[in-house]
Amino acid sequence: MDMTRRAALKTSAAIASSVLFPMRSFAQETPRKGGVFTVHYGAEQRQLNPSLQASTGVYIIGGKIQEQLVDLDAKGQPVGVLAESWEASPDGKTITFKLRPGVTWHDGKPFTSADVQFTAMEMWKKILNYGTTLQLFLTAVDTPDPLTAVFRYERPMPLNLLLRALPDLGYVSPRHLYEGKGDIRQNPVNLAPVGTGPFKFVQYERGQHVIAERNANYWRANAPYLDRIVWRVVTDRAAAAAQMEAGQIHYSPFSGLTISDSARLGKDPRFIVSTKGNEGNARTNTIEFNFRRKELADIRVRRAIAHALDIPFFIENFLGDFAKRGTGPIPSVSTDFYPADNGPQYPFDKKLAAKLLDEAGFKPGAGGTRFSLRLLPAPWGEDVSLFATFIQQSLADVGIKVDIVRTDGGGFLKQVYDDHAFDLATGWHQYRNDPAVSTTVWYRSGQPKGAPWTNQWDWTDPTIDKIIDDAATEVDAAKRKALYGDFVRRANTELPIWTPIEQIFLTAISAKARNHSNTPRWGSSSWHDLWLAE
Amino acid sequence: MDLVKLYFRSPPAVIGLVLLILVLVMAASADFLYPRDPLALAGRPLIWPFSNPRFLLGTDNSGRDIAAQIFHGARISLLIGGVATAISIMIGITIGALAGYYGAYVDTALMRVTEAFQTLPNFLLLLVLVAVFGSTITTVTVAIGIVSWPASARLTRAEFLSLRNREFVQAGRTLGLRDIRLIFGEILPNALPPVIVYASVVMAIAILLESALAFLKLSDPNVASWGNLIGAGRDVLRVQWYVSAIPGIAILVTVLAVSLVGQGLNDALNPRLKSR
Repeated sequence: MDMTRRAALKTSAAIASSVLFPMRSFAQETPRKGGVFTVHYGAEQRQLNPSLQASTGVYIIGGKIQEQLVDLDAKGQPVGVLAESWEASPDGKTITFKLRPGVTWHDGKPFTSADVQFTAMEMWKKILNYGTTLQLFLTAVDTPDPLTAVFRYERPMPLNLLLRALPDLGYVSPRHLYEGKGDIRQNPVNLAPVGTGPFKFVQYERGQHVIAERNANYWRANAPYLDRIVWRVVTDRAAAAAQMEAGQIHYSPFSGLTISDSARLGKDPRFIVSTKGNEGNARTNTIEFNFRRKELADIRVRRAIAHALDIPFFIENFLGDFAKRGTGPIPSVSTDFYPADNGPQYPFDKKLAAKLLDEAGFKPGAGGTRFSLRLLPAPWGEDVSLFATFIQQSLADVGIKVDIVRTDGGGFLKQVYDDHAFDLATGWHQYRNDPAVSTTVWYRSGQPKGAPWTNQWDWTDPTIDKIIDDAATEVDAAKRKALYGDFVRRANTELPIWTPIEQIFLTAISAKARNHSNTPRWGSSSWHDLWLAE
Repeated sequence: MDLVKLYFRSPPAVIGLVLLILVLVMAASADFLYPRDPLALAGRPLIWPFSNPRFLLGTDNSGRDIAAQIFHGARISLLIGGVATAISIMIGITIGALAGYYGAYVDTALMRVTEAFQTLPNFLLLLVLVAVFGSTITTVTVAIGIVSWPASARLTRAEFLSLRNREFVQAGRTLGLRDIRLIFGEILPNALPPVIVYASVVMAIAILLESALAFLKLSDPNVASWGNLIGAGRDVLRVQWYVSAIPGIAILVTVLAVSLVGQGLNDALNPRLKSR
């Protein structure tokens, strides 16, 4: 009864480690065809097309309908989906994909290299939030025949980077439904996506549900098993947990439930609560500073804010074992790129924070307030709203009054990344296997206005731009790693955003599900082999 | 004096008054008992009530003292209730008085507007207003006032319709009093008692509306209101239910107090019930 949060967190950790995977007699079970799989959809995005917006909130739906050239297998290695094979030229400037034959779009048109060419040049390079940086030096995609796509780069593109990026940034859209149909962003197909994936889009009722059904013409034999997937829009986390218990929802991805409910469901044999299947989605909690505010453009103020937050206290009391102190934009789970030296770390020191603010010329005025800031917390995850309150409480202690502005998912993305109507924002940065995929875009200048999770802070630093560009085109692995060390140290020194907490997503899934959580980005993957036991 | 005696004859009215005074005392003593910012981090999150003498009512999921938020929240709830009611009654009286006094096409026009407002569920309209104008405490209060005036307008209009042809009004008219003087100086004071009683209902509704908004996390998150505490507690409802239950009881008590006082006033002001 009297269970403190800390006790709850401990239990949930124990569950996560003991029930790493439901090792039931899978081998004897024959996959069952049919069934409806229901998914908790917590924060609606503005659209569903993963060629245009890289985010778990889009992949969770669009990733079942559209497919990418390459995905990750159970061991985290690239495996072909729409591409069958690939090779890079010795100079790294040409990468050739051989595409899968016999694949058709849901509307019956054949999938060809023309689709890849159009998507790469018009969507990945121009619109897709992380794609714009990744494909910065992509000059052309040649299509010598319908099943060959040749990517030509101005500067070398490390094949390894591209293959690690494409599972997230390699979704292909149907050219015939976009070309010559006006603004790609406003195309109605974005809300009723057409793809090559195992499930066909049926219906999207805003605020209610999204439905997709089995694609009978799917190119993988005997797939998919499920008849339908229904995503239920449930913004209330406690209600989502109740619906799981009532059997109305099978799966809640990406830490969609509250910490206390996750712990409770983890003890219930009907559910599996685990971090498994999320290894490819390490995330850090962020604080984004808007440099259009003169106070925040001052490095001393940004450092003071970092020093004013007692992060270890917050983690110990609010987040528990699933979180740890973040050291920079590259999380410690990234064995390939985590640098030995992360640069300045800003330990909790209220006096130093006050001193820095004084030096910057922002002396306390009437009532001890130096200035006020508007903080926008992203509406995903309980930890973000708890962190927002913690920021508000901590900064009040050093004389910065913080007003929290609550929004829905679409409103958050628009106000922060499009209208720039924020002073501070806090949300998640997701690290996806390679810093060039979804990390460096938070720092590189020149991002198109409105692209979510990119540098929209009005902060330009030629030094970091050069490091990012050099690293993204460096073919030598050791040199790349060294460059990303420079990147992390520069980011932590200039502090355009701060990444003080590191976490792995937690999912809750019905014990009836089979073949789940079997790849490092399972929540985002196509679920072609997922089935439901009786 | 008679009125006071009549009021105190009814036990529910007395209970209501005592409860209301209790809430007022809580609001008045908040700064004295809990001088710190009620939204400040006070200790470990989710300490159960009565388990730590420092936090009598425990802490919420953000580590804030629930007792401090209840005391400071009393102010916010009374403030929202009071101001929103004042706005609502003022709009209602003005529209109702003009419609009832002038009748004819003024009445028709104003009543159609009133009906238009009445056909919209007031909570939906409130959601729209808050979505458009943002959710600061000021906009929320004004918006609640704006959505809850139609009933008091109809009430005032009915009173005016029955009063406008009485002898004292006719006399005033013969004396050459101007309309404005007649409406606000002569008729209104006589039309006021039922409206004042109704104001207690509006106040109770206003407090509930703010709580409902906050429950949906659409109220001003930067003030310590009871509704915000309920909204925050929603995330831990299944296990740490007290985070939502404690402010829920506070709201229940306040709304009950206001309603009982309103009922008591109604009974005391109603001449036909005097002999009961």
